[in-house]
Amino acid sequence: MAPHDRLTAAFPHSLAGEHPAPLLQVEALDVSYGATRVVTDVGFSLGRGRSLALIGESGSGKSTIARTVLRLLPGSAHVQGRVSFDGEDILGLSERRFRPLRGRAIGFVPQDPGNALNPVRTIGSQAMEAAALTDARDPRIARERILETFAEVGLDNPRRVFDSYPHQLSGGMLQRVLIGLAVLPRPLLLVADEPTSALDVTIQKHILDLLSRLREDLDISLLLITHDLAIAAERADSIVVLKDGSVQEAGPTATVFAAPSSPYARKLHADVPALNPDRYAALRDLGLRRLADPGQTPKISVRKLTKTFEVDGKVLTAVNNVSFSVSPGTTHALVGESGSGKTTTIRLLLGLEQPDSGEISVAGETLTGRTRRSMQAAWRHLQLVYQNPFTSLDPTWTVERLVREPLDRFRIGTPKERAEWVRAALVDVGLGAHLVTRKPQALSGGQRQRVAIARSLVLRPDVIVLDEPTSALDVSVQADIVAVLLELQAKLGLTYVFVSHDLALVRQLAHTVSVMRHGRIVEHGTVCDIFETPRDPYTAALLHSIPSSTVAPARTRSPRPAPQAVVGTAVIGQEQIA
Amino acid sequence: MNGAYPTYAAKRLAQAAVVILLAYVFTFVVVSILPGDPITSVLRNPQNGFTEEEIAQIVAAQGLDRPVLVQLWSSLSGFLTGDLGLSMRSSRPVTTMIAEVLPSTLILATSALFLAVVLAVVIAYGTQVVPKRYGQGLLRAFPSLFLSVPNFVIGLVLIHLFGFQLGLFRVINPDSAWATFFAAITLAIPISAQIAEVLIASLDHEAGQDYIAVARGRGLPPFRLFTRHLLKPSSLPVVTVIALTIGELLGGSLITETVFGRTGIGSLVQRSVSTQDLPVLQAVVSLAAVVFVLSNLIADLVYPLLDPRVKLLGARTPRTSAPKPAGATAP
Repeated sequence: MAPHDRLTAAFPHSLAGEHPAPLLQVEALDVSYGATRVVTDVGFSLGRGRSLALIGESGSGKSTIARTVLRLLPGSAHVQGRVSFDGEDILGLSERRFRPLRGRAIGFVPQDPGNALNPVRTIGSQAMEAAALTDARDPRIARERILETFAEVGLDNPRRVFDSYPHQLSGGMLQRVLIGLAVLPRPLLLVADEPTSALDVTIQKHILDLLSRLREDLDISLLLITHDLAIAAERADSIVVLKDGSVQEAGPTATVFAAPSSPYARKLHADVPALNPDRYAALRDLGLRRLADPGQTPKISVRKLTKTFEVDGKVLTAVNNVSFSVSPGTTHALVGESGSGKTTTIRLLLGLEQPDSGEISVAGETLTGRTRRSMQAAWRHLQLVYQNPFTSLDPTWTVERLVREPLDRFRIGTPKERAEWVRAALVDVGLGAHLVTRKPQALSGGQRQRVAIARSLVLRPDVIVLDEPTSALDVSVQADIVAVLLELQAKLGLTYVFVSHDLALVRQLAHTVSVMRHGRIVEHGTVCDIFETPRDPYTAALLHSIPSSTVAPARTRSPRPAPQAVVGTAVIGQEQIA
Repeated sequence: MNGAYPTYAAKRLAQAAVVILLAYVFTFVVVSILPGDPITSVLRNPQNGFTEEEIAQIVAAQGLDRPVLVQLWSSLSGFLTGDLGLSMRSSRPVTTMIAEVLPSTLILATSALFLAVVLAVVIAYGTQVVPKRYGQGLLRAFPSLFLSVPNFVIGLVLIHLFGFQLGLFRVINPDSAWATFFAAITLAIPISAQIAEVLIASLDHEAGQDYIAVARGRGLPPFRLFTRHLLKPSSLPVVTVIALTIGELLGGSLITETVFGRTGIGSLVQRSVSTQDLPVLQAVVSLAAVVFVLSNLIADLVYPLLDPRVKLLGARTPRTSAPKPAGATAP
């Protein structure tokens, strides 16, 4: 038995709470790779049973700090400073002496549950392995404890989960498994590295509720790594804001959140969609006026679209009787979780798939039932901006060639005109002319997505389909991209179809919205109506999953999950099936 | 295991049988459409010194006077019943001739494959646990070093060192255990290089995956991490490489057998080619085809056992991650 276990046994939780010595204390931490310093002079402390959020964007060093605490950094990392856990400097421990702390005293919940379990071994065998590393030596007792823990973390059928392979479970279930494995040995500290960023919104809320509940029930301290200020504010007692590896601001959640003193924390606060629903109200109003104009004929009209796929001999209806229309110059959002059919809908809209039945028309022209050749003509007016700018741009092409390609493809203009239009499109998205010779590798994520937008703009389309265009980007970059999109809409009168799972973002920029679930549209209407008075329980559940924008300073510990009436169980049910 | 596996195995087995038959027919056709029929090119070749009487006997015994299709049919039905005909030179059954030399080659090839896999796994394990400053780079250089030294050079060096200098085995007794061992090592080294290359790349990839970090974070010691977590997922591409390497094992055994003076399939091929003994060649080529098809069949059958994510042909497995365009309702 490790010494800290005896310590916890000797001091009941109430005493431990009064004990001033923090469980985890990080002092003057520096981490560098060669000459590149990724963490500079970071310090914070986390008390027993408390929660602390490290918040920052990619490259802020938050994950590096988490991995320093777990000592999971690669060998090339050079670490200086002091990390004391339960009074012991863990950086000074030998690997052999530190290993027993891993898992037993410090649990780790990773970012992407889909990749955090060995894909070729059953959940059960990996759970048994985790149990064998703790004091549960007897396999039968270990198995019982695992099944109990699985039930505790909200897994419906622990036995089935035990016998499953990771690929047979949904992301939400896998994250529950991982949390279960992390809390199985009753650790003192749980390090959760973006535990929900790879999950659907409604599942996110369940997972966060679960973490809050376990922290309270088992008196585990939580070190939460997140890029989402709204989540941090909702879930943590104190917040440390990081940028480029150094602390910008730190303090109790209420202070940092309500009255941020550093410029960076203020910017971060302003960029989170959930906290600033009306940020782009001025730009959005133009579309609202267009929407109100009764004389408009819709730019896009989708009628009774149905598409089925055969998967493993079973027929799946990916899109079921979907209809919507979009007025010119407005943004229509398709909202739903993974598997809701939103991606298939836009593939149909773009003519990348043929529907089984139904009709699509854009700008008065019917697109369905066309030959490939005449479809190509339609693509001039209908462009797509893909989700992930890190994979959607050919890494060997220059920016100029990337943006010019549609012009070359459709043989529009002379070479001189093409170069001119490329430059104009780049100016439209706010990229300087000096970037034209760069390759995607030399660009930031935000710049890449601007290139992708410029590429779709260069043909002067009427309609741009945006497939989660900001989901791979940091919040502040997302805010820039959203601003660019809305300015372009105001200037050029573009019509957008905006696919997203982020309702807070949709509230900021869309005019009308269709909520999709299981291939059907469960509810549609203007953003105002849907967000004010959702009629469908699923819509209500989605809205409920937006982190709340108000923080009560007194609520230092998150309450148990509020009863969500029928909706919550409905969503849990869906998660189990998925 | 998946309920669809027996169906999958049966399908793959049937496919393998068809491929072997086609390979046999193809070899037969290639041999029979070669310029010059065997009677004039082999039997009437003055160098071979057959008398007219002997030629007539051989032609009758081999059935060379019959139409090609009839010859194919009798040859194919012979192949299916395990009768590979008679050698043109010695008039002995080809089956017996192969049976005489096959065990020696089989022992050499299987021990070489075993040694190659062990060597590859050891090198690959080293690249994962040996720190950079203690020669990890050297370990990583081994595969390319192994590949760049020709097979026969390794063989000659080993014979010189261990046979002549250290006297571990006697060169004139090529079937002794030590001689077999060094012949197998010679054969194994270039093959282990290929396996190690793929295994190292695969280990490097898997070691960067989250689940390895999570397992380490759970407190797993390095060796258990390697054996329980890294090795199995990383061995998936290796299975394919090994199956492809079997062919090389056969080709490589020819050179190795020559260098070490062993009798085996290699020496049989060598003799048959120089005397243009077509029935023997046809048999050896078919044997190679069978070995090749079988090793790939085994790889195909092993793969789904190693990786539960593999989709079996015609299988009806409930899957959570529907393909990209799909999604929607699972009933």
